[in-house]
Amino acid sequence: MAERRKFKKRYCRYCEQKVEFIDYKDLNLLKFSLSERFKIMPRRLTGNCKRHQEMVTVAIKRARQTALIPYVVDRKNVVDNPFELIR
Amino acid sequence: MNHYETLFVVKPTLTDEETKAQIEKNIAIITDNGGEIVAIDDMGMRKLAYPVEKNERGYYTVVYHKAPATLIAELERQMRYNEDVLKFMTVKYAKKKEIAQYDKMVAAVVKKNDAPAAQPKQEEAPAPEATEPAAEPAKEEA
Ligand SMILES: [Zn+2]
Repeated sequence: MAERRKFKKRYCRYCEQKVEFIDYKDLNLLKFSLSERFKIMPRRLTGNCKRHQEMVTVAIKRARQTALIPYVVDRKNVVDNPFELIR
Repeated sequence: MNHYETLFVVKPTLTDEETKAQIEKNIAIITDNGGEIVAIDDMGMRKLAYPVEKNERGYYTVVYHKAPATLIAELERQMRYNEDVLKFMTVKYAKKKEIAQYDKMVAAVVKKNDAPAAQPKQEEAPAPEATEPAAEPAKEEA
């Protein structure tokens, strides 16, 4: 619920910025679509359009594979300062 | 020839020269097998998002290159054997739009390499970290 409120006004931020392609190394672009625990946020909460959601999904998975962002953040697997990774 | 981008992470335990040698070695694999280097982005030492082979940090390099498809298999085979390479990934840019983006990224890298003066500021800024807490405890019980 807390997350829902954050995204009340729904529109695609990538369309707004006229993003044509999402580079997996550009963490600032991925940030919009990640939850606090680095899960991929669903489209119904972020308001991303389908086209951009598909792009960002691929990009996030690539970023995870290259250790740019974590796969999971939980009690066993704590990131001391998760926002240090996304500057 | 296709457009590719290869990212690899070198172990943090190596000395500067050894790291450099590793990077040059991987670049040599590309050039020796008929590839053509377009640009090299030296991202430097970064913290890994999760430990890889018990390493917390790694030295990131991104190589933009044009190469025949067979090269990638060879490159990945050699990197897989190389114990000093923690992670690697190759991305192919094939569609028109992707290639346009590729050219844009290459241009950005070239620009960055041309202006080394802007480089050192990355480390100091003590990262704004105030944004995180607040919402966290509420969903803890899930
Ligand atoms: Zn969109």
